[in-house]
Amino acid sequence: FNSISIFPFLSFTEMRDKLRKWREDNCRNSEQIVDVGEELISDHGSKLGDDVWIIYEQVMIAALDCSRDDLAMTCLQELRKQFPDSHRVKRLSGMRLEALERYDEATKYYEAILQDDPTNTAARKRKISILKAQGKPAEAIRELNEYLEQFVGDQEAWHELSELYINEHDYGKAAFCLEELMMTNPHNHLYCEQYAEVKYTQGGLDNLELSRKYFAQALRLNNRNMRALFGLYMSASHIAASPKVGAKVKKDNIKYAAWAANQINRAYKLAGRGTKENKCSVKAVEEMLESMQITMS
Amino acid sequence: MGEIELSCRAYVKMHLHACLFPRCSVNGLLLSSGAPGGAVCVTDCVPLLHSHLSLAPITQLALTQVDVWCSQTQQRIVGYYQANACASDSSPTPCALKIADKISEQCSNAVLLMIDGGKMSPHDRVPPIVMYERKDSKWILKDKHTIMLRQWEETRLIANQMLDSGDHALLVDFDSHLDDITKDWTNQKVNNKILELASPANGNV
Repeated sequence: FNSISIFPFLSFTEMRDKLRKWREDNCRNSEQIVDVGEELISDHGSKLGDDVWIIYEQVMIAALDCSRDDLAMTCLQELRKQFPDSHRVKRLSGMRLEALERYDEATKYYEAILQDDPTNTAARKRKISILKAQGKPAEAIRELNEYLEQFVGDQEAWHELSELYINEHDYGKAAFCLEELMMTNPHNHLYCEQYAEVKYTQGGLDNLELSRKYFAQALRLNNRNMRALFGLYMSASHIAASPKVGAKVKKDNIKYAAWAANQINRAYKLAGRGTKENKCSVKAVEEMLESMQITMS
Repeated sequence: MGEIELSCRAYVKMHLHACLFPRCSVNGLLLSSGAPGGAVCVTDCVPLLHSHLSLAPITQLALTQVDVWCSQTQQRIVGYYQANACASDSSPTPCALKIADKISEQCSNAVLLMIDGGKMSPHDRVPPIVMYERKDSKWILKDKHTIMLRQWEETRLIANQMLDSGDHALLVDFDSHLDDITKDWTNQKVNNKILELASPANGNV
């Protein structure tokens, strides 16, 4: 990697605030975190007060992501000195071993933490991450299911499980996870849209109708969700084109599809203004919508 | 089966796509502007997804849109590429096979290309790719001697340069396009950058 900073000339407070924002938003922009964090720690460490420890942790994890074991060790050593018996720091040691692909050692670290504190969710999640990294999705899924039996409210875990099921093409179980997420997060348009995509993938008229409903719901929650808009267009078009539906259902779905097509056209025309760049995409969408119209009628 | 040639532009964009999303599986389509019949030359690629590769709607949408763009620009879809999130596993996933099957319905000598993440490094002596072709309804490894990549050294240099200067962040895949439809998935900017770097005046040849 080049040694030129991505963010030259930031003040101390700007650097500290950037790191805080990235922590709060749970961003994984590791290169930027390393860039800013390394400078902040080395040039302004003494000004950070108690914040320095959480920054060491944040920078350490980002350093692992960028294969900067030197920087990761520096941070880890400071944290170990300050918090010698901390499970939280032990987890970081485990993560370092994971980054070095010493998975068996890392697993032992986490099991030691769990012996001491069986409710330590972080250690359990790391064990599951190791299974993923080792290409053992079935085991990861099994462990994650066991975890969720105990910690049924853990949204992050439900979402992770839905992703694992999607990768394994187990769409029914993925749908179940997303249903849990939609129940507890009824205003989250992304869960609705992902659920709709899973239903669409499962196929069949009933699933297509469900997918259309949930694409529509996602749009109600966020009318700029392009995936939901296209999804509504495609699911409604397929339903309208199906020989199994009655005249009324066909008519309704043609209406939904036409509405969606109109919205898509508007969105692309707006996007096309002033930029020469995406003329190709605009034209491609227009033609696509035209050609799909023909198959519907 | 037939010979296939991978152009600098196609390879660099695939490589950048994989590097842009190192923790995700990514995929895309391989395109050719040459006439059908004879050796296939992959002249370009369109990066598609970096999430939910196995879900149908966005994949279908992308295939349709790229198809339309191809007919507008005298190109054809001749293959599919994928890089798995788990770098140690470069075998085609069921969804890779499915999409490749679909492509081979329209293009009889379509190829399936897997990027071998475990072998990627700035100093590769050979491109870190594994190619498959369709024979008797199965995807089998393509004979290495039928795969050509002219000027691999130059291609590799260009890819490395673009990574070093952060230009891979300019690459737009279909997923990113859906997040912001003002972004161009045909990647004209990146194409121009590659041309610039490849020109003899740049001393790369």
